[in-house]
Amino acid sequence: MTLARQLALRLGLFILLLLAVSMITFGAMNLLGDPLFNILGPISGCEDAISESGESVTVESSDGLAQNCGPDQIQAVQDAKEQYYLDKSLPERYVRWLGDAVQGDFGTSFANQGESVTNIVRDKLPVSLLLMVMAQTIAVVIAIPWGVWAASRAGKASDRVSTIGSFGLVSMPNFALGIILYYVLIVRLGWFPFRYEDDDLWSRINSLFVPAITLALPISAVYQRLLRTDLITTLQDDFILMARSKGVPRRSVLFKHALRPSMFSFITVFGINAGALIGGTLVIERIFQIPGAGSEIVTAVFREDFPVVLAFVVIITAGFVLLNILVDLLYSILDPRVRT
Amino acid sequence: MTTQHHSHLEDEEVPITFAVEGVVADDMPAEQFVTRKTLGWGFWVSIGWLVAIITAALLAPVLPIPDPGVDLSSDVGLREPPSTEAWFGTDALGRDVFSRVIWGARISLTVGFAAVAFGMVFGGSLGMLSGFLRGWFDSLTGFLFLTLLSFPALILAILMTSLLDRTLFTICVVLGVLGVAPVGRLSRAATIQFAEREFVTAAHTIGAKRGRILIRELLPNVVIPMGALALLGMAVAIVAEGGLAFLGLSVEGDTITWGKMIADGSDRREIEDAPWVAFFPITFLFLTVLALNFAGDKVREYFDVKEISV
Repeated sequence: MTLARQLALRLGLFILLLLAVSMITFGAMNLLGDPLFNILGPISGCEDAISESGESVTVESSDGLAQNCGPDQIQAVQDAKEQYYLDKSLPERYVRWLGDAVQGDFGTSFANQGESVTNIVRDKLPVSLLLMVMAQTIAVVIAIPWGVWAASRAGKASDRVSTIGSFGLVSMPNFALGIILYYVLIVRLGWFPFRYEDDDLWSRINSLFVPAITLALPISAVYQRLLRTDLITTLQDDFILMARSKGVPRRSVLFKHALRPSMFSFITVFGINAGALIGGTLVIERIFQIPGAGSEIVTAVFREDFPVVLAFVVIITAGFVLLNILVDLLYSILDPRVRT
Repeated sequence: MTTQHHSHLEDEEVPITFAVEGVVADDMPAEQFVTRKTLGWGFWVSIGWLVAIITAALLAPVLPIPDPGVDLSSDVGLREPPSTEAWFGTDALGRDVFSRVIWGARISLTVGFAAVAFGMVFGGSLGMLSGFLRGWFDSLTGFLFLTLLSFPALILAILMTSLLDRTLFTICVVLGVLGVAPVGRLSRAATIQFAEREFVTAAHTIGAKRGRILIRELLPNVVIPMGALALLGMAVAIVAEGGLAFLGLSVEGDTITWGKMIADGSDRREIEDAPWVAFFPITFLFLTVLALNFAGDKVREYFDVKEISV
């Protein structure tokens, strides 16, 4: 299979997956929730109440608040139904939503009526993306030298200590590590700001530093373990012995000859791990009170603001799947043997 | 002189190729004598910790500890640091942190067990069936697993918990669903591997029914790699509950879980004035996850299971 064909196949699957994901999310939210109630609150029950008795009545909502139902309320219900297409059937609503979504329009928020979901996403997502990019960068920057160092002295006491250390880090839940670092670096030492500061790029990076480290440390331990195992195998190959015997310096053997062919498991996991990183980011944003996608999703979930939740779920999932396709491509670029 | 100099160089530089002794078993003479694989003392320490914490959790109602919901502020005080009266101190409502850690273990461990059991039963049977039957059923479950895996795990959990009532039961089911795809893929791979072996062909030949082959021939072989995954999966489920707790999406009401304790103790005020409220459950959570990961890793090594990814 050629690279182009492989890519086309993957992209086809990608679109199929996104359709499945959005359909499941859209369906579950509309069937299990009550969109009309989420938009209007108690008066959403007005139409049914009136059609039963034929005149203006008072409906009692589940939280005990009495609501008056008159012609105005009925008009509001009908307007909302029309605006959000709630009078249409579920498949039709999905197709309408999909048609808008592919053009970059994710509808309007239920909670802040009239606010465009696309704007909310554009506002919140970059903060989370910056955090994730910082975390992955820090993780790789730590993992590569650490992995090479550990592999070059495999089996020695220092390697065993580092293995125990990385095992401990892998087992550390990120929220637990977050609280410990928050306590030590921010509360006790006061090296970093308490709140997220949004003045310029530098202040953003500065206030995202501790959260990024929190996310990066456990990931770097995962990467280090993989890199170390693969490097140990590579270092036994004949071409390493050859390089050593012709007098190539130790450092250059490790970083130039051995590192590249030892990166495969590492790169595969880089993609898979992005899922864990996304989950971690949502939780860590809560701890450090960062106004990113994570905080927004949770707020939207509690308000049952479905268009916002749906938009974030679809966009994040799309990014995650796309990243995994890119990782696969990178894989075949790094190792031509995969391109068979 | 020259030889001395030479050997000095070797000491410095040769480890690139020779330091790997004892790590990779190939062509190392000494390895031949290490014949019996053992689980090692670390495994038994891990199991010991797990047994201790499970026992404490089971015995919580009869242990001589204060009621986890009761306000001890008149005897001990609010946000009191650890003392002989309250071993792990008290929290903002004057409740005994030690007692809450033990009671929290009951729920957190239950979540771990139940979620893994759910994933094993559903993922395991789907995976075995698709590996055994192949054909359209295999393609269908394959796409199902792929769809489940293309959601970042926590996003899927948030979606489900936000739409359902958050009882202990639904939290276990939600975390169990996350395990279906990884378990399913593993059991499918293992089933395919064993389905081609001679003993299965032999069973076919003597006319064994398909159900019998699945249960009597294949299941016992698939169970071993699944066991290692179960230990690792429990750790993942317990941590995931903690993540949900931070988002306010864990079990509703007064139910105590480690995740909820840590989330409660990590308020700005709490962490500054009473760090022990968060740190003791963190320690217990960490040690339990470490023990599960370590034991799972050892079991995997012991039985030489390769295709595990959580």
